[in-house]
Amino acid sequence: MTREFHPLVKRLLDGELTLGDLPLELRPEGEEALRLLAPLDRAPVTLSPALDARVMAMLRRAGSPATARESFRAGRVWRWISAPREVEIRLRVRPWAVGALAAAAVLAALVVGRPSAPPVGDAVAAFGSTRPGVLVRFVLYAPGARRVAIAGTFNQWDREATPLAPAGTTGVWTTTLALAPGQHQYAFVVDGARWVPDPAAPAVDDGFGRRNSVVAIAGPRGRAL
Amino acid sequence: MSAQVDVPARLAGRVPPEVVAVVRGAVDSAAARGLPVEPLVQKALEGGAKGVPAERVIAAVRALAGELDASAGALRSAGLAAPDGDAIEAGAFALTAGLQEGQVRELAHASRTPVGPAATLRVAATLAALGVPAKETVKLVRRTIEAGRAAVDLLDLPDRVESEIARGATPAQAAAGLARAAAHLPVGPPDVPPGRERSRKP
Repeated sequence: MTREFHPLVKRLLDGELTLGDLPLELRPEGEEALRLLAPLDRAPVTLSPALDARVMAMLRRAGSPATARESFRAGRVWRWISAPREVEIRLRVRPWAVGALAAAAVLAALVVGRPSAPPVGDAVAAFGSTRPGVLVRFVLYAPGARRVAIAGTFNQWDREATPLAPAGTTGVWTTTLALAPGQHQYAFVVDGARWVPDPAAPAVDDGFGRRNSVVAIAGPRGRAL
Repeated sequence: MSAQVDVPARLAGRVPPEVVAVVRGAVDSAAARGLPVEPLVQKALEGGAKGVPAERVIAAVRALAGELDASAGALRSAGLAAPDGDAIEAGAFALTAGLQEGQVRELAHASRTPVGPAATLRVAATLAALGVPAKETVKLVRRTIEAGRAAVDLLDLPDRVESEIARGATPAQAAAGLARAAAHLPVGPPDVPPGRERSRKP
């Protein structure tokens, strides 16, 4: 059984609010949430050193900065998995919470919080910086496609420059890009000709009668908005 | 200023020659007015990549130049004597996403350190691109700023709206609910220094 708590209750569980901060009508829900989670919340969670090593090895293979962290948009993945129709979907992997990824796997049954936030000072100080390096993963579900690429303002709209790699025969295509801070527009290119906006991302008019997807990066150690 | 952006070299083989000539002129004109020129080159490259007819590429480049101009004007009228290219581009993005010039000016005026006008406008534009009506977008961003919320709360707004949409709310409902919450929640602790985490209450 799953239970969705009110966003303010989630912030209570995140430690951002106290019970007294909640509106009166939400306090019973907050108390219940605290009661349900108290035994687990207080239990120390120790991750195996081997797990840590495996995560770091994966990061090195991906060429990520050692300090980078990513988080996983579990809800988006779940929507894709559970969708009863054919969809094309892209997954942005948050660059600032890789550590949380491992913890999230351990605590998957307790999915009540939002992704951990980056240190605010980092995000804001870095905003507008020209330093590249926020890793963003793009995933497209395109069954039957022979090739998929991504083109946008980050690669001069080159249809060939940034191919996605197929994940076996599942129809899932993926790539991870290091994007500079700022706002980027993009679209997927399926089989070299079909422009497909990202259905999971915000979109704007491209000026040509189509839609461009948008990703905004707040800083190297910030976030994809 | 076109020396900074070699338009013919950037566009060679990517768009028809008539587009190159128009973009070169647009870039020179924009640079002379202190506007960022890279978006104009990018729009031409995009049109070429998508196989758009030359006249439509030219129209799109000109329209974008107009939005950059409008953005710069809105920022100046908000009190920024010499807005930087990042803020101008963010304002143009907001206009593309559906905000009006007056709303860009309003948000730029409302923005506060440490989140400057560029980041504020980018958040607003992303909200609009998520489908939040412009009026609700402005209200949500303004209330978040005026309530003295932490910077991360402002940067988190698109994520929070997406979460609410995933739970069944319309974009407008999501934004309205978050705006109400922003106005009524107590101000939290100051932004957490890098490398630190907020203490977790039991």
